[in-house]
Amino acid sequence: MSLVSLRELTVALPSGADRALAVDSVNLEIGRNEIVCIVGESGSGKSLTAHAIMGLLPRGVHASGGEILFDGADLLKETPAAMRKRRGRDIAMIFQDPMAALNPVVAIGRQVTEQIRAHRPVSEHEALKQAAELLEQMGLEDVAGLLKAFPHQLSGGQRQRVMIAMALSLSPRLLIADEPTTALDVTTQAQILKLIKRIQAERGMSVLFITHDFGVVADIATRVAVMRHGRVVESGATAQMLRAPVHSYTRALIAAVPHGDNLLAPLPDAPPLMAVNRLTKRFARGGFFARNAVTAVDNVSLTLKRGETLGIVGESGSGKSTLARCMIRLLDPEEGEILFESADIAHLRARGLRPFRRRIQMVFQDPFSSLNPRHTVADIVTAGPRAHGENADEAHARAVEILRLVGLNPQTMDRLPHEFSGGQRQRIGLARALMLKPDVLIADEPVSALDVTVQAQVLKLLDDVRRQMNLAMLFITHDMRVAAQVCHRVMVMRHGKVVETGPTRDVFAAPSSDYTRALLAAIPGRGSL
Amino acid sequence: MKLTARFAHRFFSRPTALVGFALFAVIALVALLAPVIFARGPFSIVGMPLLPPGAPGLLAGSDVLGRDMAVGLAYGARISLLVGIASTLFAVGIGVLLGAVAGYYGGLVDDLLMRITEFFQIIPSFVLLMVLVAFLQPSLGSTVIGIALVTWPQVARVVRGEFLSLRSREFVQAARTLGEGDIRIIFTQILPNALPPIVVVSSMMVGSAILTESALSFLGLGDPNLLSWGSMIGGARSAMWVAWWTSVLPGLSIMVTVLALNFIGDGLNDALRPRGPR
Repeated sequence: MSLVSLRELTVALPSGADRALAVDSVNLEIGRNEIVCIVGESGSGKSLTAHAIMGLLPRGVHASGGEILFDGADLLKETPAAMRKRRGRDIAMIFQDPMAALNPVVAIGRQVTEQIRAHRPVSEHEALKQAAELLEQMGLEDVAGLLKAFPHQLSGGQRQRVMIAMALSLSPRLLIADEPTTALDVTTQAQILKLIKRIQAERGMSVLFITHDFGVVADIATRVAVMRHGRVVESGATAQMLRAPVHSYTRALIAAVPHGDNLLAPLPDAPPLMAVNRLTKRFARGGFFARNAVTAVDNVSLTLKRGETLGIVGESGSGKSTLARCMIRLLDPEEGEILFESADIAHLRARGLRPFRRRIQMVFQDPFSSLNPRHTVADIVTAGPRAHGENADEAHARAVEILRLVGLNPQTMDRLPHEFSGGQRQRIGLARALMLKPDVLIADEPVSALDVTVQAQVLKLLDDVRRQMNLAMLFITHDMRVAAQVCHRVMVMRHGKVVETGPTRDVFAAPSSDYTRALLAAIPGRGSL
Repeated sequence: MKLTARFAHRFFSRPTALVGFALFAVIALVALLAPVIFARGPFSIVGMPLLPPGAPGLLAGSDVLGRDMAVGLAYGARISLLVGIASTLFAVGIGVLLGAVAGYYGGLVDDLLMRITEFFQIIPSFVLLMVLVAFLQPSLGSTVIGIALVTWPQVARVVRGEFLSLRSREFVQAARTLGEGDIRIIFTQILPNALPPIVVVSSMMVGSAILTESALSFLGLGDPNLLSWGSMIGGARSAMWVAWWTSVLPGLSIMVTVLALNFIGDGLNDALRPRGPR
């Protein structure tokens, strides 16, 4: 018998939501000692299914039908008190954002022991010993120091390990992981996936893993259920489904995962449009009198030709975003040159920069904070031309044209950003950048906040636009698969330095550094997709 | 238009906000129409002193000099609201400008402006205000300027905080890459997003400015040529025990006005709070 079986589970949304049922008659079995994945895009109901099992549906949302059998007992019939006891002891959960799930003002040690002592009558000292053991099992080093540290002092990967340790502290029989690696770098994601797999095997527990990425599924799941609009459209063994997906939606999801075939060939030699020579940017750290500075970008050089996409790949903290912000002069570099055509713009002041502003444009990472929430799409898109004193009617006419180009309906111009989805917002951000007819487009992780299927669409759009407008594009990402999709050349960065640079084909076929090899090995689903 | 309608719905669905708005509307109407409603000015003597409310022709009784209390209260509302709104407008003007510049530019500019702000905050504000008004000669203008000068730091602090957090948002960086200048970014990109807390703080400040004006007038530092609620209470001190209405009625007027403004402030706070996922 399975550990958990969902029988015709139905979750109703409050009236006025975009659909009546968030989860519609879902049947799902989670066996003992296996990892089951639910895959779907945002809004598919995958998270609410998980929250229903946990008994933690948001206010106004309730399970309106079906059963959730946990070891034979229907969780939907249990009292809130009984469910509270089950949470942590029988079922534990980890979330996408470990920073939000940890209390920022309580030391890690206290947070782990609190969890243990809430359920078990052990002394603080005993609980602390258990906590230290757990953290060691999670592959964390310097556990003694870690127990005294606060959440903000940890890296994203360390925080997620602490969350997993807390979830496992009472040896639950089911671990629910709700997109636990989506906010992490690809290399950290690979480590966390490996960790979850190892722990699951060691303890023989069941894991329900929620993700939007078939690459992750291929790496971790024994069985998989594909959800769309609240329904399970297909389910089965992972290997079987990867080999022969039946439903067209499953095929689309699998196809959306970048595969790394048909890589772009490097462009023929041509004089560079933009070049960076020995650029260095430091940030002062600490207080007013602190002398130590962090070198975020260390002696970096690159060239960029018209019509070419250069990928800058690295983990968070590698200096890739700082480099981009120096090149578009949101930041002032300390040393080095930034040549645009043949003018050095590295040290120009506001007035001198103005003529170059319109020629170098940027698409930002966060589709939510990169658009002013109080401006309409028309205001946002025409802001550039207006700032350069262009005629408002002409700007409006061009906005209609550009919105069509990026695949948006120009009739939605009077709406505010919050009425659009993440992918649509990224299109608006791209339209804003293209309005000034730039020569160089800098894209800073433009797809990392998007679902895999939407990622594929936006990547294709960027590549089409690059071709049509003959743009030079600087594409920043932490994900080698994404870089492989659109880049002619890639430059791998680590700790502010360039590790390796070359044509995408060559770097993928024969990486010259260990670090690049590690990045390539971290690609989820590599080999099985 | 749709946004305005949604905002109005959110605001008026709170009972306290509705009550506050209704009270404030009545007070403002009385203040505006005082010269129309009453034929005589507030200083003209109409009969015996200290007649109780309800005496013939005297809805609210008469004061120690035999003046009509009702006329006094209506004219007092004019002064209170005028001082409250004018001084708040001044204070918000100064506060928004300095707070925006400090928060947007940061660094040395921020340090300098915040030290100036703190200078005003560490001096006991009422003492400073009394000195200012006494120095400038008590008048409507000096009261307004004085109150604005001691209250702008509140606004500056709030605005600076908002600007500090908003200036690092990606849409502000995007505006810079588009070539928008600092002034344009401050006023068209950031300020609209910082408005909700500014509106809330100013609605509360009108109330506290009315209280401050009353306190000044009570102490005899108001404009001697104008009758205000505070000076009515001040003039009624000697008669407090024999004619309660002379001090209680203007006191109640102050209380109700300030309460209404605080209700409005609360309602605005709720209605303007950002909604949606981010």
